[in-house]
Amino acid sequence: MLRRMIGFTLLVVLMTVAAAPLSAAHDEFRIIGTVTKISSTEIAVKQKDGKVVEMDINKQTKFTRDKKPVKASEVKVGGSVVVDALGDSILDLTVLEVRLVPAITSAK
Amino acid sequence: MTSTNSVTELPSTRTLAITTMAAVAVAGVVLVTLVLPAEYGVDPLGTGKALGLTAIANPSAGPAVTAPEGATAVTPVVEGPVGRYAATYKRDAVEFTLGPYEYVEYKYHLQSGAMMLYSWSATTAVVHDMHGELNGDPNQVTSFNKSTRENDSGAFAAPFSGLHGWYWENPGGETVTVKLTTSGFYSSAMEFRFDKTKVPHDVSIP
Repeated sequence: MLRRMIGFTLLVVLMTVAAAPLSAAHDEFRIIGTVTKISSTEIAVKQKDGKVVEMDINKQTKFTRDKKPVKASEVKVGGSVVVDALGDSILDLTVLEVRLVPAITSAK
Repeated sequence: MTSTNSVTELPSTRTLAITTMAAVAVAGVVLVTLVLPAEYGVDPLGTGKALGLTAIANPSAGPAVTAPEGATAVTPVVEGPVGRYAATYKRDAVEFTLGPYEYVEYKYHLQSGAMMLYSWSATTAVVHDMHGELNGDPNQVTSFNKSTRENDSGAFAAPFSGLHGWYWENPGGETVTVKLTTSGFYSSAMEFRFDKTKVPHDVSIP
């Protein structure tokens, strides 16, 4: 009986630990500005307040222009982008989508 | 042959004068003691108050009717087509400036069944999504109306308790201004900016 109780308790603990990453809440961030750095794994965007935000790129990241998919290679340094990314903070973001947009005049 | 000659004696002028004076005096007493207090609330002798006649001239509206049991300032008790609350509705007017591709969310705390009237307009078409978050949980979102438009007006009854309001996104490269006016039985409002800052807003009583 005691063995079964211990086994059940361990099972619950293991399931809880395994499920933790799935239930962790991520906020969606929008970063608007000009590209200062781009690689296959990372993009850096300078916002209009002058702050540069670095974000991870992965295989799920989409690149679009006018809602149509484009190649990642079309993203150039100096180009205007709208980036939607997920993460716990602005220091730890993974890009969902990079939208290539016309030059944003109000962006510094 | 006999004849009967019956002659009724008419009152003398003096008797008529006395009787008329007496009638006028009685009428005057009735007027002052009964009619004036009852009809106009004029009670120079206090007889109207003593006899309860002044209440006729100044009927009260009866005891004040209070809100029905169960109603609060933000939770209605529905009686047919009427939803009754325990306090006055509130009013709010806000304006947002959205830079290129920026968005903002503005939501009110509404209890299930609570009503809100709204009108909003933008200087150019914006992506808009009227939605609610069950108990304020951002992972339990229900979208009520989603489109791209310049304005909207309507009446909204909260289908569940939580945060209810709008998402507006500037889809273009020019700055857009969005103006919102509402009135309803909400408790507070919160602005969620695209840079993740949250700004609480006071709502006023009209």
